Amino acid sequence: MSLPDGEATASESAVWIAGAFCSSTASGVALAGIHVRDAKAATENDLAYANFGLATSYLVADFYSRSLEAAKLEASTRPALRRGRAAATLHARELTALLTGAGDTPATAEDFTFEWPVPTFATAASIRRTGTAVLRASLGAYQQAAATLTEPTYRVLFASLSASVAQQVGTFTTAGAPAEPFPLALDLETASAALEAFLG
Amino acid sequence: MNTRLATLAVALLAGVCVAAVASARPQANAPLTIYAAASLTDVFRSFDSAQNYSFGASNALETQIRNGAPADVYASAAPLNTQRLHRAGLVEKPVTFTANRLALIVPRSNPAGIRSIYDLRSKPVKLVVAGPAVPVGGYTLTVLRKMGLSSVLSKVVSRESDVRAVTGKIALGQGDAGFVYVTDARAVSDQVTVVRVPAWAQPRVRYEIAVVSRSSNKAAAQAFITSVLSARGQTALKNAGFLAIPKAPA
Repeated sequence: MSLPDGEATASESAVWIAGAFCSSTASGVALAGIHVRDAKAATENDLAYANFGLATSYLVADFYSRSLEAAKLEASTRPALRRGRAAATLHARELTALLTGAGDTPATAEDFTFEWPVPTFATAASIRRTGTAVLRASLGAYQQAAATLTEPTYRVLFASLSASVAQQVGTFTTAGAPAEPFPLALDLETASAALEAFLG
Repeated sequence: MNTRLATLAVALLAGVCVAAVASARPQANAPLTIYAAASLTDVFRSFDSAQNYSFGASNALETQIRNGAPADVYASAAPLNTQRLHRAGLVEKPVTFTANRLALIVPRSNPAGIRSIYDLRSKPVKLVVAGPAVPVGGYTLTVLRKMGLSSVLSKVVSRESDVRAVTGKIALGQGDAGFVYVTDARAVSDQVTVVRVPAWAQPRVRYEIAVVSRSSNKAAAQAFITSVLSARGQTALKNAGFLAIPKAPA
């Protein structure tokens, strides 16, 4: 199924929601079924969100790994932690492809020394609290990107990233917590400030 | 007697040979001439004060080596410079020996009221940067591009020849903000305030070092590099605020 976006050519703007796994195409990168236009048309602001998203994807993957290692959450959450880590890894891979396509040199996980406050993984409560904070900042930036980027296919990608991260926030929400009706979108400056302490 | 004469002859010959070798090889204790990035000024001088140093912008030092400057060791703030010289056969294979990060500095009085890099966009600012060919100048462009802030380059009032010049201008209040290495910011911490560059926008700042091919004292030059890579050298760099040799990507 393809959805016209009214701004790009038919072949370039096609958004494939086919549930397929990642594959490369001649004109772009397919993210689990989402066709992302080549990055040549991206603005600097578009790429800023991609750079931020890449760093936070590495951060989130690291957070899941450490949470699994700490084994403080209920055993029943372990599959969700593994799925979250896998999703973060896929997000990083696709944002890397996007930045490479734009002629940038994307960061690697080795470029970061993540800093987790000592008590972060000491208790289930602190893992939930930190996980929620990290994912909410990431989600907020993705929401903003989905609404404001100039490149239509990027907007779809960031909407997809938002949906994925929103699902993950649920992993750290305690049972019975009220659903957030309108999670806040965050500009890059605010989201960056929220994660600065963790990104090192 | 013949035996004694033969022994004497051999001894004399050996002496002549040793003298000949010694005259061809520079004295082991003669100071090396080390061309190094300006940001290494303090740490190299304190680490090994016995050598002769020439500090400056890595690109300028590269040009001098191309033009035949008598350097024994070249330490650059960007792999681009060392790799170019290596490809030209002018330095031996470079090695990475440390890393760094960028920071924005503002004068202590902070007349422009800069609290975040994003303030550069919204406030009237006299921005000081290094020229684009200077490593720190190139890294500055990378930071601004990664953050979507290249438009602030319209506020540049001065492009300096090396990082020390940028640091000096801001420390003296001749500009409102400037991009320098974290290590240079530390050197004037009583005169400036540091505004962090987010980790996600940091460029990959890698320092490389190499023996200059035409050095007449390669063994000592290599020994200097080995000492920089040693635990003592790495500790000195770390104490000056430099980062450990980065891990290679998995």
